[in-house]
Amino acid sequence: MSEHHHITPLKIYFRVAGILFFLTAVTVWVSYVDLGFLNIVIALLIAGTKATIVALFFMHLLWDDKKNLTAFVLSLMFLAIFIIITMSDTEFRGAINPEIKDPINKRAAFYDSLPLTDDHGNPIHEDGSHESGDKDDHH
Amino acid sequence: MSDNHQNNYLTYPKGIMSWLLTLDHKRIGLMYLFGGMFFFFLAGAIALIMRYVLATPEADFVTNDQYNSMYTLHGAIMIFLFIIPAIPGALGNILLPLMLGARDVAFPRLNLFSFYLYSLGAVFVIYTILAGGVDTGWTFYTPYSTTSTTNVIPMTLGIFIIGFSSILTGLNFIATIHKMRIKGLTWYKLPLFVWALYGTSLVQITATPVIAITMVLLILERLLGIGIFDPALGGDPVLFQHFFWFYSHPAVYIMILPAFGIISEIIPVHSRKKVWGYKFIAYSTLSIAFIGFLVWGHHMFTSGQSVFSQIVFSFITYFVGIPTGIKIFSWMLTMYRGQVSFTPPMLYALSFLFLFTIGGLTGIFLGAVALDIHLHDTYFVVAHFHYVMQGGTIVAFLGGLHHWWPKSFGTMYNQTIANICAIGVFIGFNGTFFPQFLLGLRGMPRRYATYDNLGSEALVEQYAATHSYSTFWSGILGLSIFISVVNLLWSLRKNNKLDPGTNPWGALTMEWTHTTSPPHPHNFEEEPVLTHGPYDYDKVLVKPTLKRK
Ligand code: HEM
Ligand SMILES: [Cu+2]
Repeated sequence: MSEHHHITPLKIYFRVAGILFFLTAVTVWVSYVDLGFLNIVIALLIAGTKATIVALFFMHLLWDDKKNLTAFVLSLMFLAIFIIITMSDTEFRGAINPEIKDPINKRAAFYDSLPLTDDHGNPIHEDGSHESGDKDDHH
Repeated sequence: MSDNHQNNYLTYPKGIMSWLLTLDHKRIGLMYLFGGMFFFFLAGAIALIMRYVLATPEADFVTNDQYNSMYTLHGAIMIFLFIIPAIPGALGNILLPLMLGARDVAFPRLNLFSFYLYSLGAVFVIYTILAGGVDTGWTFYTPYSTTSTTNVIPMTLGIFIIGFSSILTGLNFIATIHKMRIKGLTWYKLPLFVWALYGTSLVQITATPVIAITMVLLILERLLGIGIFDPALGGDPVLFQHFFWFYSHPAVYIMILPAFGIISEIIPVHSRKKVWGYKFIAYSTLSIAFIGFLVWGHHMFTSGQSVFSQIVFSFITYFVGIPTGIKIFSWMLTMYRGQVSFTPPMLYALSFLFLFTIGGLTGIFLGAVALDIHLHDTYFVVAHFHYVMQGGTIVAFLGGLHHWWPKSFGTMYNQTIANICAIGVFIGFNGTFFPQFLLGLRGMPRRYATYDNLGSEALVEQYAATHSYSTFWSGILGLSIFISVVNLLWSLRKNNKLDPGTNPWGALTMEWTHTTSPPHPHNFEEEPVLTHGPYDYDKVLVKPTLKRK
């Protein structure tokens, strides 16, 4: 806990809120533009930026004792370790046995009740082939 | 020192409510100690029954289903209700503030709350037992755990709740270590047990949320059919193993780091020497805690995970050996040319060095993918983890218990009996578990109640001979532990009090030099002043004194 509390001018709160709303609008807008796999990258970048400014301004990490910021960043690093190393499994599983390639089985019984589509809304046929889209969209 | 009963946290304040609502870290520590020991004996009894069943190839008086339930309960109770909470919860709670010169932990109320969360989780586990058990193994692997008709939900809910207790204790200890040290007690003057608790606490607050969320996901999948792990619902069963081991490998360091801390205290005191390589030991604790987060996939070499991750995990696993080796060598160099005395705590510490080294080295074997494909799910793994968890953690715990028993209760047990039991534990342990390495190498699978149809007659005969040998020694092991605990409890009889100023091992850490045994309810009668480092045996002359009242 820091000894004195930083009082943030209201102006800054409103400005930050404005930026957040603007970025939300950008997220919605960009989701209508088909950029292939870049869609997900851009969506995550925007979401990441928003989370960062919320943490820095609304949660006061920018002005607080820097230990708090360190703890916060370290926790993100832990999450990154978990996800990235787990993906070193799910993304490379097909390297030797192609039949176990997909981390999630889109042809599971559960999906029978849903119309089969890929991330871009393109129908997927019973044999697993796609109508269009690139080969990266098995999430 | 005045001989007033108000100077003793055990007798003041009085009454059952003063215990149940206590905020005193020492009393909370004792409640953890007795809770933990209860579950230790419960799970131990289950283990002895299993050993009895395994002495012959056929199942003797349990069905296969009952056997499945027994090993699940044995493992889950030992891990989640004894090993993980017991050392930090019991010894950690009792000692940490005393070692820091503090009056209590940073958040005493939160500390009591942690204990009640632990108790609530324990209620769920007991319910599970009474309701007929659970048969998934302590690992709860999907897809079986989503379909098993046994009590998966109460058990996992119990573990979920105990997880919060673990997180809150970790949080409390970190805050205590940062904020409650007395003046002049800088980081490098901390006893190494405190460093060990710090490393443990870091792992507890970073890893435990993952097991909690894993249990929740499992429960949601069972109750609501959300497809996360079940391939029939579009999930990925191997993902469960990632979740589980992302917690459970770091959790093995929650189990072993406090044990390292205990050993780092016992060895210098009973060798009357300054600890060798203080900073090496301190920093290897932190690096083990960190590397421990990067190796979880070594439990999944046969799960169908990608070959790429197998190589990565195998490679990183070997790095764990470096800081671990540093510690072992530092302890040995601490003893070198010291005046080693063969007291009960020291005998346990010496057993620890021997047993943990075997456990750690066989861990490196298992970290090699090619070898592990053969050894996975055999008795070799069972032997490995008993060497580290029982030979390592539980032996260190018993050593710590004997070391700090006079401090906690102000009584001394019969040291000859304790020494005999310590030797009994060592021999019984090796007799029980060393043969299991051989069984594993010959292909005996774990988690089987019977093995009469696993191969040729000659092979089954070999298995039976080795198993019955193991069973015989497990009886000696159980008996030795039982007698050693009775010996401790027997010291609590009337008219067996030590002089409150006594320092039976001649130790220099603050809990021995600055307060009475048993300590004052507020730990120190006056504000303590730091006079020496924890291991200054080269500078301060302190003699063991064992005075009775
Ligand atoms: C030198 C450090 C260690 C290494 C390299 C190591 C490596 C391994 C590996 C590779 C396995 C998986 C074997 C298999 O299932 O095929 C394993 C299992 C296990 N290890 Fe270790 N280990 C080490 C230390 C420890 C410690 C300190 C503990 C606990 C205090 C521990 C507890 C366990 C447990 C409980 C299992 C079995 C889990 C199960 O499948 O039920 N290990 N170890
Ligand atoms: Cu592991």
